Amino acid sequence: MLSDALLEQLTATPLFAVALTLAAYLIGMTIFRRLKQPTWLPAVLIAALLLAVFLLISGLHYTTYQQGAAWLSVLLGPATVALGMPLYQQFPRIRELWRPLMVCLPVSASLAVVYAVGIAWLLGLSDQVLASLAAKSVTAPIAIGITQQLGGSIPLLMGGLLITGVVAIAVVSLAAKWMKISDERLIGFALGLNGHAIGTVRAFEISPTAGAFASLGMSLTGIFTALLLPLAWHFIG
Amino acid sequence: MTALGGFLWLVSFWLIGEVIVYLTAIPVSSGVLGMLLLSITLALRGGVPDTLAAAAQPLIALLAMLIMPGVVGVFFVAGELGGQWLAIIFSLTLGTLLSVLTTLWLMRRLMRSQDVK
Repeated sequence: MLSDALLEQLTATPLFAVALTLAAYLIGMTIFRRLKQPTWLPAVLIAALLLAVFLLISGLHYTTYQQGAAWLSVLLGPATVALGMPLYQQFPRIRELWRPLMVCLPVSASLAVVYAVGIAWLLGLSDQVLASLAAKSVTAPIAIGITQQLGGSIPLLMGGLLITGVVAIAVVSLAAKWMKISDERLIGFALGLNGHAIGTVRAFEISPTAGAFASLGMSLTGIFTALLLPLAWHFIG
Repeated sequence: MTALGGFLWLVSFWLIGEVIVYLTAIPVSSGVLGMLLLSITLALRGGVPDTLAAAAQPLIALLAMLIMPGVVGVFFVAGELGGQWLAIIFSLTLGTLLSVLTTLWLMRRLMRSQDVK
């Protein structure tokens, strides 16, 4: 519980939000390492939970925090561009696999939408919810554009992205063990394709190769879904 | 100081992405366009400049922190969903489980058949 006057003073500059974000991230990373890097609880989620609890207790509004934190999140653009570097460094290994990658991508990226929306439809969820969940495997900046075109809700999409990312990480690591898959290229590709940025972050924890294949999976899924989903949605109506 | 030049590379590619989005109105984000353009440029150039590596590596390491402010917002929308949240979580979880299994199974099959050839 911070007084309104103090909150106003602290949020006059973005530095308070920046400090909160850095602190939550560093504490989240420490807890993540202490827990021996559990795949079902990524560091992003721990840090976000800590910060949400702090906002609730202190009385600082999320929108006020978000305005300040925009000074950090604006770097997401150049950081996404930076993924082009590992992508380039893995070009020879990607070229070896271009045929399976090009067959697998459209099938998997379409099924990622069909499975989730199909189950949601069977459960009788409203059309607006279906439209909000359709882009759940696509990286946030692209997914927001798609969801606007479909007429979905952006906050609900963000929730869908979080759940999808966390579940994708957990399932990839469990299924890889169960199916005896140790190829980092395959694991990375599955993480990026299904788990967008959250999966890509996880893939870089495994190895640079997994990270590069995740970047590839994430960007191709984003492009494929952005170009075809609004069209398909229009025809199925 | 070397990282500064690399950072300018990254921001410039993002801005080029913005211009392409503006001119063509394609529904892809400028970050993803910039990523693809950067990898193609590096391939044509044949190598990663030190300044670029100095800026790109720390930024990639911070990716998780940069998506965090957006993730925090998720905890403040749960109330708007009424009774639907259980069905939503169920469809996302099962849907993602199925799509991950499909990707792993299909990709492994395709990679094996390529190795046989």
